[in-house]
Amino acid sequence: MSVLQTSELNKQGVNVSVIDKLSQRIKQKGVPVETFVVLLTALLWVVLSFASPYFLTEGNVLNIMRQVSISGIIAFGVLFTILIAGIDLSVGSVAALAGVVVAKLLVLGLPIWLAVAGAMGLGIAIGLFNAFAIFRLGIPAFIVTLAGLQAYRGGALLASDGMSVSGLPKAFSAFARGEFLGIPTLFWTMVIIGLILHFVLTKTRTGRYLIAMGSNQESARRVGINISKMTFLAYTLSAALAALAGILLVSRLSVGTPTAAMAYELNAIAAAVVGGASLFGGRGSITGTFIGALLFVTIANGANLLGVDPFWQMVAAGVLIAIVVYIDNVQKRRKSGV
Amino acid sequence: MKKFTPILASATLAMSLVATSMSATAAESYVPVIVKATTSEYWQTVFLGARAAAKDAGVRIEELGAAAESDIAEQIAIMENTITRQPTAIVLAPTATDPLSGTVEAATAAGIPVILIDSAVGTDAYASFLSTNNYVGGQKGAEALAQCIKDKTGKAEGKVAYLTSLAGVESLTSRDNGFLDGMKAFPGIEVVDNRIGNNDMAQGLTNTLDIMSRTPDLVGLFADNAIMGIGAGAALDERGGNKPCLIAFDADEQEVNLLKDNIIDGLIVQDPYMMGYAGVWFAAAAGHGARLPKEIDTGVMVVTPSNYKESKFAGLLDPKKRQLGSFVGE
Repeated sequence: MSVLQTSELNKQGVNVSVIDKLSQRIKQKGVPVETFVVLLTALLWVVLSFASPYFLTEGNVLNIMRQVSISGIIAFGVLFTILIAGIDLSVGSVAALAGVVVAKLLVLGLPIWLAVAGAMGLGIAIGLFNAFAIFRLGIPAFIVTLAGLQAYRGGALLASDGMSVSGLPKAFSAFARGEFLGIPTLFWTMVIIGLILHFVLTKTRTGRYLIAMGSNQESARRVGINISKMTFLAYTLSAALAALAGILLVSRLSVGTPTAAMAYELNAIAAAVVGGASLFGGRGSITGTFIGALLFVTIANGANLLGVDPFWQMVAAGVLIAIVVYIDNVQKRRKSGV
Repeated sequence: MKKFTPILASATLAMSLVATSMSATAAESYVPVIVKATTSEYWQTVFLGARAAAKDAGVRIEELGAAAESDIAEQIAIMENTITRQPTAIVLAPTATDPLSGTVEAATAAGIPVILIDSAVGTDAYASFLSTNNYVGGQKGAEALAQCIKDKTGKAEGKVAYLTSLAGVESLTSRDNGFLDGMKAFPGIEVVDNRIGNNDMAQGLTNTLDIMSRTPDLVGLFADNAIMGIGAGAALDERGGNKPCLIAFDADEQEVNLLKDNIIDGLIVQDPYMMGYAGVWFAAAAGHGARLPKEIDTGVMVVTPSNYKESKFAGLLDPKKRQLGSFVGE
């Protein structure tokens, strides 16, 4: 991939020596994988803006912003579970369930705030339950949330009789389609959530505790970190953000569908990992996760704009995950001197 | 539900054995209607039609099916249990082409006529097959799209694209092929793009926006199922401004809403009600020994914002309102 893009750049006449210097620097000192992914995304944007005259149009940039918002919000939540060396595979199903519930409540005639509060409440309850099963019952997170992946999807199908729920008030759809200062409201929502979570993660004690717990749960416990509280925080946040994303998705589509957000958990995990999170816990960032989500959205958007075969698009996304994780591993091995 | 059906079936079997031994009548007189999944609007409409036919034809039906269309093993189990009970005839919508062939052959060998609806199986050991001709549906979609473009711009010219919900599904491929072949009748129209949405409404939305970014002068769009139709409709609604013509398959409630809002310009509507209704009549007839045509096309109709209020479409868009008159040929 990187080779291909370098030659692509040569064609575009970009200074080759910069890339040479950069690759030398990478060889000598090593760069964090986040930096690599930022560069890769930036490179992709440059290449695409040359390859397609429509890529950098206002309409397309707004489309990308809307697309990255919902997957970004889900990925932020999942990142927190990955940080504490856990995982949340149930987020796609939770998003679908919350979406169906908010649509059903709206069709029943509840005011928008109450319907949203109801669906969010359900998301929070699911998160608390996931954390309870993991921490108190001691079932591995992978198993708990894999069961949730099935069960909450089943709940969404039951709640809707397997049919899409339509006839929602226009005011509800207006939110996800709206703009503020020329930027989609969906994007604002993601940015505000992202900034808050970034602050929590980098500037507060809670953030340090989460990362400490992910690095080594036993020593975190010994130094007096409340492991229970951190577990509940991570899984509740993950499910609540998934529920919010599900509600926003319904707002954007004007219909609640039990089959919505299928496999979104995998996209979220991929975004976090490509953005520098370690599946073994203790490492990852909101900015990295955002860039990871943006990278996948950019690949899909670019493939559509260039008319690339959709099957090749999937292959490209897969290869990308493999490359990034490989580079990350090489870095770690170099650091530990193996 | 999934696990319950076989238990229910075996319980009924036990009861029927008792009943048989007591009353000395031979096999039960009833028609099981086995659909792909009981949890979808489409198959519920099939049941509605089947119930109406049960009343009109005076046969007892039983509504069966797995919870999910993907559960092939469950449908095979239902078929096997049903054959044991020796019903008058079976109405079956097979979830998969080849895996269900064995049970269809077994039923036929046991002297039970099988009436297939909606989808085919990999054997011709059945009594009759009633389905939508998806290829013709796709062709009608092409004609409706060309007509809409002509109505809007004055001539059937320009660039169009189509959205495929899933790759490698026979019914969808037939629709797409019908659409592409139908478009050949309009040399002024060029099909410039095709995107696959993985049966995800949000991806249908994204793909539509991206297609329109890539081809700003797009005049028409064809969506090959309800999921893609709603996704594309949401995209055009969100985008606003001058919108291309949109023709979509099926008649999901939200698709009908979008049709009423003039965002969807035409729906290619199948007739699942008729599959259930005619399926049960055919089953009853076959059970009595009537010879039946091997294949029946239950028809597709094009519903547009200007004709959806007509009484003949009311029952197609809302099966609860369906009232059948005499069939006098087409």
